[in-house]
Amino acid sequence: MTYREPRTSEYEVIEVSFPGSVEFVVLARFTAATIGARAGFDLDEIDDLRLAVDELSVSFGPLDGETSLRFEFFRDGDTVSVRCTREPAPGAPGESPPERDVINWQQARELSEQLLEELVTVHGREIANGRSVAWLKKQREAGKA
Amino acid sequence: MDQIMKDRSPEESGAPHLPTLELAGELDLAVAPLLSEQLDALFSEGATSIVVDLLRATFLDSTALGVLVNALNRCRDMGGQLHLIVRESQILRVLTITGLTDAFSVHNSRHELENGIEELWKR
Repeated sequence: MTYREPRTSEYEVIEVSFPGSVEFVVLARFTAATIGARAGFDLDEIDDLRLAVDELSVSFGPLDGETSLRFEFFRDGDTVSVRCTREPAPGAPGESPPERDVINWQQARELSEQLLEELVTVHGREIANGRSVAWLKKQREAGKA
Repeated sequence: MDQIMKDRSPEESGAPHLPTLELAGELDLAVAPLLSEQLDALFSEGATSIVVDLLRATFLDSTALGVLVNALNRCRDMGGQLHLIVRESQILRVLTITGLTDAFSVHNSRHELENGIEELWKR
């Protein structure tokens, strides 16, 4: 985990990278809750951000030992942006692909898309430098905090 | 893993007892395969309707929800139902956003579920 000294008290960047293992996604949710709180989100908004960040990882399908996930969290005042990049694992041992994957990924992605539409201000996917990226932005609701 | 517990204790109501899975904690991609496995086991034992108790669950993502949807479809194919017991607002919100609140049989307590089953049993 990397914490960059903020340029101002209103701007912060946190990076979290971990091997492609499902047990580590909780770290991304934990970081989301922390940065959401620092953005002044209320408890419901923090819960929404935690779920939305989890759903970013779902968009990549099954995790395996050959990839890692890098989450970048940006807070700019009352707005949180998150980028999740799927990268080749730097030799780190991760999970082997499951022999029988019980997750219906097509269905999970459809549900995930519905959730993200509702939970965040804007979200999307793109290819950057040859790597898959899923991203979101969530702004604190007006009149809150 | 103590996030999933089976309950097969007999009920005193006279209504048929439904196999129950009690789920606790955060239900995400790490838990979804185990959840699927436990549901498969209940189907293998002949269950056509199942109760999933989410009263101690605090988080539900699309992968775990997808497993529940698959189980719901299997129950329906056999003329049964998947009952959810849930009070956690974030989980209810997930069901609402995905339009699945009415697809599952959702109850806010074990008592409410048992009363509902008794009513159906009396008809």
